[in-house]
Amino acid sequence: MTKYAHAFVVGLQSNLVYRWNFAVRSLFSLSHLVVVFVLWGAVFASRASVGDFTFAQTLTYFVVIFFLQFFVGAFNEDYLISEDIRNGLINQFLLKPINYFAYRMSVFTAARVVSGAMGLLALAIALPFFHGYLALPHDGWRIALGIPAMALTGIIQFSIAYCFGLLSFWFLEIQGFILLSMAVETVLGGQFFPLDLLPQGVFAVVRFLPFFYQAYFPAAILTGRQGYDFAVQGLAIQAAWALALICLAEFIWRRGLRRHTAAGG
Amino acid sequence: MGSPSYYLRIWLASARYSLVRATMFRGDLLIWSSVELLWISVNVIMVGVIYSHTSTVAGWSMYEMLILVGTSMVVQRFLMGFFWSGIFEMGRNVRSGAFDFVLAQPGDPLFMASTRKLELDGLLNSVVAIALVVYSARKLGLHPGPADLALYACMLACGVVIHYSALVLAMSLSFWITSSQGVEGSYFTLMEFSRLPREAFNRGLSVIFVWVLPVVVVSNAPARALLHGFQASWAAGLCAATLAWFMLSVFVFRRGLRRYTSASS
Repeated sequence: MTKYAHAFVVGLQSNLVYRWNFAVRSLFSLSHLVVVFVLWGAVFASRASVGDFTFAQTLTYFVVIFFLQFFVGAFNEDYLISEDIRNGLINQFLLKPINYFAYRMSVFTAARVVSGAMGLLALAIALPFFHGYLALPHDGWRIALGIPAMALTGIIQFSIAYCFGLLSFWFLEIQGFILLSMAVETVLGGQFFPLDLLPQGVFAVVRFLPFFYQAYFPAAILTGRQGYDFAVQGLAIQAAWALALICLAEFIWRRGLRRHTAAGG
Repeated sequence: MGSPSYYLRIWLASARYSLVRATMFRGDLLIWSSVELLWISVNVIMVGVIYSHTSTVAGWSMYEMLILVGTSMVVQRFLMGFFWSGIFEMGRNVRSGAFDFVLAQPGDPLFMASTRKLELDGLLNSVVAIALVVYSARKLGLHPGPADLALYACMLACGVVIHYSALVLAMSLSFWITSSQGVEGSYFTLMEFSRLPREAFNRGLSVIFVWVLPVVVVSNAPARALLHGFQASWAAGLCAATLAWFMLSVFVFRRGLRRYTSASS
């Protein structure tokens, strides 16, 4: 366990070097909130509610999504893993008593601490403009269930990125796959619109997909878009997906290693 | 400096090379075309979901909004198809010194740098975006004449020039800063605004996104021309923005070029 704690500390230090990159990125990402503000402001101009939610509740949802992206979202982990494989850096992990998934997860956690802090900083800057439009519920259970949901979201986000990174065992270029997955995740993860606005039949199917738990689910708990029973059921499904994706990652890792050729000294 | 026919011959040679390259890597072409297609679908789905809860957004009906979104995508796909790769690589080449290769070629450096590669996937998907515009126009019962279509095409061309100028400006930063990595992300973030109707912006935001940055006018002007015919104020605004942004980008690029100190910089 100590070695992964060291990996976390080293990850923290190396990510602090790039704190300005995260800061600039988070500030630019604020413009997405401006797009949301303009678009949904226009939608709500002619009506008080959409899908039983007010403008403030909808904007709060997107602010929480913004926070989640920086605090538990995968950024470039797939690319880093791909680079390790393509450049042969993976060999050093094969020769040491270290689990590559756990190592990368430690570095991912460290990176999210830094990017999460920068995301919060950006939100603090934007708060004077948005605070009049925010409406967070005050139920204690939402925090109690929202925190484990966020942790599981982090595991799901990382595991999916990890699996895509491992595709480099088979393919030289994986950027296309990553962007394909990103498009699917953007819609089915609820980053473009709250998923509860989908037709009921579609929503009933989407809630069983892993993407649902990549952003929408914790945001829906924290912003009051879903009730207690839904949250408890969802947490069980989310935990199942997290476990399944960890198993899938291990499976792909083992299959990939069979194809891997380590050369040189 | 060569004549227009000289540059046309160079461009045709580059286009032929890009076509041959694309047919050599057919798998790549398929994946990247799918990526583009999926992102177009993502935007259409979002419009569909929003309009399942309201009939108008800022006075725009669903099919009018789809014309706006489609127009914005046509402009962006043309930019991606004709110029993206060249301009994107410019930033990296300036840093690595590989920009020497462009400077050694017999032609204007900006032309040579930005027209080196054609991306077939972007161009293929511009057909999908045009189909979206045509479908929406038919749904609205629009029957534009040849003059209307010519006007729309001219405005699209202006939009491409504005996008091109904005991207050249952003990537020219690489002459001053060590790494322009991630700058392209800010371009995409800003271009999100081009899918919003002008009427959705309040007075304060209009100043920035309509008058200072041309992100709204590039899509709204041609879409309005198709929906409501020629509107002198929009046409004049678009022409002025096109000229101003193109001149500014050429000026900044040339100033940056003076700072370029070749491979050892």
